[in-house]
Amino acid sequence: MTILHTIGDFVRDSLGLIPLFYIRILFVAILVALLIWVLSLPNRETTPPDTKPTWSNNLKTWAAITLLLQIAIYSIF
Amino acid sequence: MTNLATIDYVMLAVYLIGTMALGVYIGRRLKTGSDLFLAGRSLPWWAIGMSLVATDIGGTDIIGVGGQAYRYGMAVSNFEWIGCIPAMIIAAFVFVPFFWRTGVYTIPELMERRFNVGARTLLSFCWVVFMACNLGIMLLASAKLMSVLLGWDQSMAIWVTAIMVGVYTIFGGLAAVVYTDVIQCAVMIGGCLIVLVIGLAEVGGPAGLRASLEKLEQERTAASSAEDPGGTENTTISEDDKYLALVLPVDTKTPFPWTGILFGLALILSPAYWIGNQAIVQRSLGAKSDFQAKAAYIMGALLKNIIPIIVAVPGLIALIKFPELRDGDHAFPTLVAQLLPSGLRGVFLASFLAALMSSIDSYLNSSASLLTNDFYKRFARPDASDRQLLLIGRIATTILLVWAIYFAFLIIHMQSGIYAIFQTLMAFFQGPALAMLMTGLLWKRATGTGAIIGFLAGICTAVALYTLNQPAVYEALCWEPLFQIKEPFLYFSVWAFLVALVLIIVISLLTKREPDEKIRYCVFGEIKKETV
Repeated sequence: MTILHTIGDFVRDSLGLIPLFYIRILFVAILVALLIWVLSLPNRETTPPDTKPTWSNNLKTWAAITLLLQIAIYSIF
Repeated sequence: MTNLATIDYVMLAVYLIGTMALGVYIGRRLKTGSDLFLAGRSLPWWAIGMSLVATDIGGTDIIGVGGQAYRYGMAVSNFEWIGCIPAMIIAAFVFVPFFWRTGVYTIPELMERRFNVGARTLLSFCWVVFMACNLGIMLLASAKLMSVLLGWDQSMAIWVTAIMVGVYTIFGGLAAVVYTDVIQCAVMIGGCLIVLVIGLAEVGGPAGLRASLEKLEQERTAASSAEDPGGTENTTISEDDKYLALVLPVDTKTPFPWTGILFGLALILSPAYWIGNQAIVQRSLGAKSDFQAKAAYIMGALLKNIIPIIVAVPGLIALIKFPELRDGDHAFPTLVAQLLPSGLRGVFLASFLAALMSSIDSYLNSSASLLTNDFYKRFARPDASDRQLLLIGRIATTILLVWAIYFAFLIIHMQSGIYAIFQTLMAFFQGPALAMLMTGLLWKRATGTGAIIGFLAGICTAVALYTLNQPAVYEALCWEPLFQIKEPFLYFSVWAFLVALVLIIVISLLTKREPDEKIRYCVFGEIKKETV
C-alpha cells in the first residue's frame, strides 16, 4: 500500500457509501439546474440580432427541448 | 461477409464519388489561408451543427461504442449524453460566441493573447500530437470494418480511406469538410437507423430486447454465483451493472462508474472537448456570425440525443443475436453482415465511411491549421501572405495524412479496444488543457507561468498514473493496481485536472499579475462585446 492507494481507497470507499438512487437524482438535478440557467438567459443572448424574436428562432426553446429529453432519459434509465 | 452484391458497390461508389466531387468543387474557390482554415467565415449554422455531430461521431464511435455496449451495456451512452450535451449548451451560450468575437484561428492562439507564447506552443503541440495519433486510430477503425464487410486486407483499407479523404480535404479545406460533413451526417444517421430498425425487428422490438437483456442478466448472475460463490472473481460485468443502466456503481467492473462519468467525463473531458478541441471549435469560428455559431452548437446538442440510440443499441442487439463474439468491436460489423440484405449493406458501408471520413477530414484540417498558424506563421514566417498560408496548409495536411497511415500500421496489432485507445490518449492532456483554458478565460489572476507549469504537471500526473497502472509496472513494484476498473482513463483526467488546477492557482498567486491588455481575453473581461 502506498499513499496513492490510501487516497484512492478513501475516495472510492467514501463515494461508494452514497446509495445509487441519490446519484441518479444528482445526475437529473444537474440537468434541471442547467435548464433553469438556460431559461433565465436574457433574450438578447438567445435570439438573432435585428430580427423579431419568436419561439422558433429563440435558441432557448431548442436548448430546453434538448435538456428535457436528457432529463427524461436519465429519469428512466 | 464478403459477398456484397453489385447494388452494394453501386451505392458505395455513388456516395464516394459524390462526396469527393463536392469537396474538390468547393476547393476550386479557395484563394487564401483564411478560406482553407475558416471557410472565409461564411458557414451557416445548420451546416456547422451537422458537421459538429459528424465530426464527433467517427468510425471509432460506430465500432467502439457498439463494441462497448456489447461488452458493458448502455452506460457507454453517457459519452454522448451527459458527456456531451451539458458542455455543448454551456459552450454555445458562454464560450463559442466569445471565441468568435476574438477573431482567432486557433484556441492556442487565444492562449498566447491571454498568457504567452509558451502556453500557446505547448497546447498546440499536444493537440497536434493527439490529432495525428487519432487520425491513425480512425484509419484503423475503417480497416477493421472493411476486413469484416468486404473481406479486404486491412492494409489496403487504410490506404484507400486515407487517399479518398486526403483528396478533398487538401483541396477543399474547412468549407469542403463542413459541407461534406452535412451529407455524411445524414448518410450516417440514415445507415445506422436502418441497422437499428432491422436489428430491433429481429429481437422482437424494444420490449423483446429488454426482456432478452434481463434474461441474460439473470443467467450471468446465476453463472457468476456458481463459479465464484464469494463474489471475488473479476468478471467483465458485475451483478449491479444492468445492461440498460446509465448510472453504474463505484465498484462496477466496467470502465463507467458514476464517479468517472460525472467527475472525469461530464465535468472535465467533455468541456475540454467541446470548448477546447480545435477540430470542434474551428468550424464555429468559421460561422457567419456569433449567433450562428451559438445556433450550430445547440443544433448539435439536439442531434446528440439520438446518437446513442442508433449506435449503442445495435451493440446490445448484437449481444442478444451473437453472444459468442470474442471481440466487442466486431459487434456492429457482424450485425451488418448477418442481418442486412443486399443494397442496404452498401448503404450502411457508405454511412460508416461517412462517419469515418467526416472525422478524419476534420482532424486533418484542424491539425494542419495548428501546424500552419501556431508553428509556421508564428515562428518561421510571421509575415507570410494568405496565399503562402494556403500552400503551407495543404503541405501540412499531406504530411499529417502520411503520418496517420504510418501510425495506423503501427497499432494494427494492439488488442485494446479502439475506443479505449482514443479515450486514454485524450485523458493524458485534456484535463490539464481544460485547467489552463478555464483559469485563463474565467480567472483574471491566472498567469502564464502558472498555466505552463500546471499544464505540464497535469500531463505528467496522467502519464504517471497510466504507467503505474500497467500490470508489468505494478507487479514489478509489488503493488496492488491503483485503479479497480478496467481502462480507467476517466480517472486519469480527473487527477490530472486537479493537479493542474491547484498548481495554476498556487503559482499564479505567487507570480506577477498579467498586464491589463491580457486580462481583456477573459470571457468576463472587457472584450465581451467587441470584435478584435
